[in-house]
Amino acid sequence: MPTFKLDGRDVPFEKGDTIIRAAHRMGIDIPHYCWHPGLSVAANCRMCLVEIAPPPGQRPLMLDILSWDKDKNDYVVIRKPKLQPACQMAVVENMEVKSESSADVAKARSQVQEFLLLNHPVDCPICDQAGECRLQDYWLEHQGTGKRMRDEPVHKPKGVVFGPTIVYDAERCIVCTRCVRFSAEIAKDPVLDERERGNLTEIVVSPGRKLDHDYTLMTEHVCPVGALTSSDFRFKARVWFLRSARTICTGCATGCNAYLDYDPRTMTPHRHRPRDNLAVNQYWMCDEGMLSYSRVTEGRVLEARVGGKPATLEAALIEAKRRFAGVPKQSIAVVLSAQHSNEDNFALVELAKSFMGTTELFVSGKPRGKRDEILMHEDKNPNTVGVKKLAPAARPFEELLERILGGSSTHVVALGADVPGDPELLEAPLSKLAGLVTIASHDGPLVRRAHAVLPACTWAEAEGTYVNSRSMAQRSERAIDPKGASRPAWELLALLGESLGYATRWKKLKEVRKAMDPDAAAAVPAGV
Amino acid sequence: MEPLDQELEEGELELPSEPMSLNVGPSHPAMHGTIRIVMELSGENILKADVQIGYLHRGFEKMCERGTWTQVFPYVDRCNYASPMLNNVGFALAVEKLLDITVPLRCQYYRVVLGELARIADHLTCTGAMAMELGAFTPLLWFMKAREMIYDIMEEETGARLTHSFGRVGGMAQKPSPNMKAMVAAILPRIVSILGEAEALLLQNRIFIDRLQGVGKISAADAIALGWTGPCLRSTGVAYDVRKAHPYLVYDRFTFDVPVGQEGDNWDRFMVRLEEIRQSVRILEQAIDQMPDSGPINVDDPRIVLPPKDEVYTTIEGTIQHFKIVMEGIKVPAGEAYGYTEAGNGELGFYVVSDGSGTPYRVRIRPPCFAITQALGGLVTGIMIPDVVPTFGSLNMIGGECDH
Repeated sequence: MPTFKLDGRDVPFEKGDTIIRAAHRMGIDIPHYCWHPGLSVAANCRMCLVEIAPPPGQRPLMLDILSWDKDKNDYVVIRKPKLQPACQMAVVENMEVKSESSADVAKARSQVQEFLLLNHPVDCPICDQAGECRLQDYWLEHQGTGKRMRDEPVHKPKGVVFGPTIVYDAERCIVCTRCVRFSAEIAKDPVLDERERGNLTEIVVSPGRKLDHDYTLMTEHVCPVGALTSSDFRFKARVWFLRSARTICTGCATGCNAYLDYDPRTMTPHRHRPRDNLAVNQYWMCDEGMLSYSRVTEGRVLEARVGGKPATLEAALIEAKRRFAGVPKQSIAVVLSAQHSNEDNFALVELAKSFMGTTELFVSGKPRGKRDEILMHEDKNPNTVGVKKLAPAARPFEELLERILGGSSTHVVALGADVPGDPELLEAPLSKLAGLVTIASHDGPLVRRAHAVLPACTWAEAEGTYVNSRSMAQRSERAIDPKGASRPAWELLALLGESLGYATRWKKLKEVRKAMDPDAAAAVPAGV
Repeated sequence: MEPLDQELEEGELELPSEPMSLNVGPSHPAMHGTIRIVMELSGENILKADVQIGYLHRGFEKMCERGTWTQVFPYVDRCNYASPMLNNVGFALAVEKLLDITVPLRCQYYRVVLGELARIADHLTCTGAMAMELGAFTPLLWFMKAREMIYDIMEEETGARLTHSFGRVGGMAQKPSPNMKAMVAAILPRIVSILGEAEALLLQNRIFIDRLQGVGKISAADAIALGWTGPCLRSTGVAYDVRKAHPYLVYDRFTFDVPVGQEGDNWDRFMVRLEEIRQSVRILEQAIDQMPDSGPINVDDPRIVLPPKDEVYTTIEGTIQHFKIVMEGIKVPAGEAYGYTEAGNGELGFYVVSDGSGTPYRVRIRPPCFAITQALGGLVTGIMIPDVVPTFGSLNMIGGECDH
């Protein structure tokens, strides 16, 4: 691979790389605001300026500038090299680039930073970006001085509502245009643009439009400063109190890699944001996925139920045992869930096959939904492929309803609350059942009609493996402690099996994983 | 003890010959700090003494590992609480060693002035309390009168009489008040005069002398072997003072003597402290004479020192600087350093380890009286119960520092 020199260090590059991209790939940070690895180059923030030595045999490109000489008490003419933006300069072999090692670059960065902060309001105490703001980081790293301007800063609109999810503050904006480029290039909806010039420039929404495509929260995520804020996260939490868990988005079969940011003191999730994975979601996530964290707290089943009334877990297990005692094997049907992880489904498959001896396996999940060419998959279940691999013979949920109506299945053990199709159509078949045990994290028709309900954890409260539509098994980390009396579904299934008279092979997650795949269980690294 | 109501024949009556066990502390009026001494007695003679420390243990070192470097200062205030400013300065110097920075000259003098005032207060407290415990109450009151003058200055300078939390990495929390020098100059002769008056009450007193001289003796070799430093070591004749041996701040610019004793007994420890007060006064006189009246107090580095408050409220740069230092802490480069200074009781060391984050990875304190207290058991073995009081008093064990 060809190389070039960055601060005296040999850095490999690929054909077509810019300096910043080659450095970024090697983990070397050249400070930048407007450049984003997933977007086109704008080169407007000037923070990534670097010094490039002239090609052999050529004169260096120098500029005459005036500099204040303290001793002479007058301006003198000095020469300085013409600096180039690292985000736009293509690398050529053996190019010599000075970033950290050039005094001119350091001075330029300091002055660019001073310039970007000229009209910035004193907003850190009320700004959601504080704590993860590039302006703060780079000020300390590259400037460290006060501003020399003594004028009143320019005032611009604050709190502009761009759409249902985004609020814009023009005074904080450094007009890097990442949000403009993101909307046009990735979301394919060029709804944002700039207006005015110079220090009056601001970002605006196209007249008659709102910022309402499916990726609006990404504009906030790519914003390097606090100009764009999310209405959902605004004023909810301070980022330095949050911890992050590496999760997999369970909103659809794409399986975007994400961070779930939660407050460890209150065990409350506060936001879901993308985690870079070039093989899956690159740098992006859709609004639906980013807002899906609210499902961790909304519509939850937090205690066991017997006959629709809150009960202890023991009472629910006794009820399950009573209902299932002496039932012929062929009358029992088992419903797997494409909403749940491999571990949960495997536990249920084990229970069904080894103990109950039933072959009546069905799969439930959310109904199909919107799809696009970017990330959204029409299958709204994160683990359809995983369930298919675990139980290839499992049939669609609709066929179970026919069997119940036909009287062949009288007892059902169901995982998950979501069902495809109209919930109204379920009422008649489910009311015919003599025994329905549901292990679910959220409310739904299968929970309401169940004779016994066992409260399960959501993806945020338990570790799990999900297989996305492209057959990639990805692990999701646990973020918060289980809410209420909920427990991981595989654990509840072990208890259910025990109560029905079947000793499971596993008591810990590690053992489930080992039983599931004796060879490869340990080989799946977290979150890949 | 033998029960008194035992019916015994006249001929069988014997004095009990079993050693008696006596417990003193952990909270006892004659104990400086919370410490427990379990003694085995034969009559009034101490056969064995078991000194138990740890009653003031608060997990100080562990607590340091969860805040920022700056947030350690209130903890070190509470180590040797007889002279908190010396701890502040000692810790600041250790971190500054790791950061490889030196505070401006004016700040170095300021630290010396406040530190020496604290040393005088420390010695006044120790010697005054020691006299009181032997029945001489008046000298204590006089010493407290002198200490109040110092505390008044401390309050004027730092806002707090005792727990100042005034040191900062890279400087001090505030610059000196305008009439700091005048205030110090005014109290120095008064302290010396009070000292003379109190000495006149004590040093001719036969009872006082008898209870100190030749009691609680230790040899120089033993003291060194046990890790003694400070006035207690110097009382044995070893002239080791960190200010002279390894000068820090501007101590090499002052003329002062290191008083030493000969016997290493209570009397020498008492006298060394009294003399050190006079030497500190000498240092202070020179320091306020040499200290510049203007110039920066803090190092000029936005990564280390907080911006002025008015800038925090009015400029974005000040806000950012304040935010980064308060929320993330000073980023001390990864590495380790041992900073040591002469505190009231001897060599106060801070061994600090940084992993490059804004939070200390490890802070280990070397409290001088920890090493000194370990000798107490040996010192009182073989002497009598009343001797425990002056012997323990002369070691100046401070619970907050010893139980680190």
